[in-house]
Amino acid sequence: VSYTLRGRAETRLAALVPVLLGACVLSSALRHWWPVELVALMAAVGLFLDLEVWHRLLPYQPAWATVPLGAVELGALMAIVYGFGLHAPLWPAIALFATGWLTSVVLAQIGLPLLRLGYAEDGGELGRVGAVAAVAVVLAFAGSAATYVVRLPPVVHLSAGVHQGPLVIKQREVLQGDRGAVVRGGIVVAHDDVQIKNVTVIGGTNGITVDGVRNTVLDGVTVQGPKLDGIHVRLAGVVIRNCTVDMLGNRLGQGIDISFNMDMGMSMVEGCTIVGGQQGITTHSSMTDIMGNRVSRTTGEAIAVDEMSMGMASHNTVRDALGVGLYCGDRSMCMFDHNTVVGTRSDAGSGIRTRRGIAVLANFQAEVSLWQNTLVANPVALGAVFNSTFRTTSEPGW
Amino acid sequence: MPRVAVVGSGLAGFTAYQTLRRALEPGEIAVFGTEADPAGAWRVRAGAIRQQEMRSESDGHCLPTTFPGLAFGSVRSRRSLRPLLESVLDRYHPTVDEFLSHVARLRERSGWDESLVARRIERVQAVDGGFELDGDRFQHVLLAPGHPGLNVPEGLRGDPRVVHSYEPHDYAPSVTVVGAGLAAATEWLNALAAGAEVVSVRRHEPERRPLNVPRQYFSRRGLASFHRLTPRERVERIRILTAPSYPKGAQWDEPLERAAREGRFRVEPALNGSAQVICATGFRRGFRSDALLARLAADHDLETEDNWLVLDPDSTVPRLTDETRTLAVAGAPAQWAFPAADTLAGARYAAHRFLERIKACRTR
Repeated sequence: VSYTLRGRAETRLAALVPVLLGACVLSSALRHWWPVELVALMAAVGLFLDLEVWHRLLPYQPAWATVPLGAVELGALMAIVYGFGLHAPLWPAIALFATGWLTSVVLAQIGLPLLRLGYAEDGGELGRVGAVAAVAVVLAFAGSAATYVVRLPPVVHLSAGVHQGPLVIKQREVLQGDRGAVVRGGIVVAHDDVQIKNVTVIGGTNGITVDGVRNTVLDGVTVQGPKLDGIHVRLAGVVIRNCTVDMLGNRLGQGIDISFNMDMGMSMVEGCTIVGGQQGITTHSSMTDIMGNRVSRTTGEAIAVDEMSMGMASHNTVRDALGVGLYCGDRSMCMFDHNTVVGTRSDAGSGIRTRRGIAVLANFQAEVSLWQNTLVANPVALGAVFNSTFRTTSEPGW
Repeated sequence: MPRVAVVGSGLAGFTAYQTLRRALEPGEIAVFGTEADPAGAWRVRAGAIRQQEMRSESDGHCLPTTFPGLAFGSVRSRRSLRPLLESVLDRYHPTVDEFLSHVARLRERSGWDESLVARRIERVQAVDGGFELDGDRFQHVLLAPGHPGLNVPEGLRGDPRVVHSYEPHDYAPSVTVVGAGLAAATEWLNALAAGAEVVSVRRHEPERRPLNVPRQYFSRRGLASFHRLTPRERVERIRILTAPSYPKGAQWDEPLERAAREGRFRVEPALNGSAQVICATGFRRGFRSDALLARLAADHDLETEDNWLVLDPDSTVPRLTDETRTLAVAGAPAQWAFPAADTLAGARYAAHRFLERIKACRTR
């Protein structure tokens, strides 16, 4: 077809309609926005290339050209996705793009010529159908944006001062603590899509309990003096950022314990400071990334990836741990990179050989990949027991 | 009595009929012509030059839409995906037999014979709300009169050695081919294959391009600028676009180079003493060469430019088309509106516009 400028744009928009509707359905089913975001990006990239590049370069576009043009558009799209950090899973995203590309090929070569007699002669212009397609695309994007805004959880402000807990959150909301907001007796998250920001929690059985819910975000929380764990996560997906957990004096509790959430996707602990406790950060049967945290003065292991977990511990600093610094145990698969482990102390009193101040320990068929960790002033740098293995990788990641 | 008429029962009229059938029943369309087989005239010409395959690519068919073209049929008949792949690469050329079968199938299933009125129309007269065709009244008329006749250069008329390439003929031991288009190129190869010594006489070196008109002129992209030209510029542009040409490719070049090395093929500026002169000089051009169009222009004082009837971009005659009636032209005389009007894609273009007019007509 020798497309006119308008014909290119109208054909592009018409081909986008079914893909966009599919993406909307997919987004609502997955409860993620990446399909709609990706299609919006596809539309932007496609229209830009149509108007600024393809129209100038191609007075006539043969059918075969859709393959290289599609490849260029996919490349541009992926560059933008990676450049702007859009969180879309790679293969589903490529599958969505391929579906969109295939739809446009089928429509341009078969559907639109059958629908509109003069499609080729009109240079791809669709007349009223083109206008309807443009309106449909705008409405779909506007509807998605409106849905996003409407679905934003309400923000509940927690005023400065001490609030008696335990505080149980039973609806989706953003609990935003004002400066000096303190909850005494703990917080329990009992609903999906809850965010807690800038709140200090003192005491409680656990400081913050997250159990059986999805999409919890804990951002800038401080936990002090819980009876058991600082942040206790079970069967739940969480992102924990910039937290402070003070477990000094608590020899049995864990600073952050994330367990049994393998089916909840990736969880993350990032930028937290944990002092004291038996284990600083521990995961069991979980996929959790542990990034850029500072853990010190623990009595068990500073960071433990345990019980068939898969996880990455990266750019963490561990100091003054008793017994073990980084631990990968019980058939877990661990990637430890760019961590610093300093001054691990031997737990001689325990009489256990694997607690004699080991910076990185792999235990019971665990597989550990190591890359560029700094291990300083530890009695033992590495230890692997019960058929566990270490592997030094040439690159970080899995 | 039908309200829509097609004047001309050749391939342009046939292609228009297929488009009209999208909206009209056979009983609502009258096709006037003396030849029941829409490919009758074309078949003779293709046979005369021993044409094996169509120059046109996937769009060279008589269906109203570009999809599906003939490649799908070829996939079935040849039991190979190659035609489809070639179509995607703009390399698919249906064979003449495939094209003729396609026409025959369409003729049978479209009701063509039901609509055909075996009569030559001599005069089109505009009347209130329509047109009178030798006494019968129609609201919407498409003129597809075909080529007005074979073109033989003035100086060669009456020469007993001369035969037009589109007339059935064999090859003498020495042949001069006049012309430089696809028919001429085909005749060079035919005569060489028959063992003849061939001389090419031509005024200009032929263009080498896949289609007779560049592709952008098949769509609004190229047509928009074409339609903006002044009448004089448009005459000149049509002359350039319709200059003789044939496709690039080894299937043309290698036999000619080989024959040239053997001394059996050469180019000369003028006729020599060949035993046979084949005029591959196409058709007579211009509305004045066609009695029906010449009479129409004279009767209604239509605007003309050089050899061309001035048409609107939608291939209609401006003075005789309004909200209540349509007079459109398809085929070679419509090149004023669509430079490739003498192709099947061009016939489809005129037909699409004609049908749009009919649909938009308030008194349809």
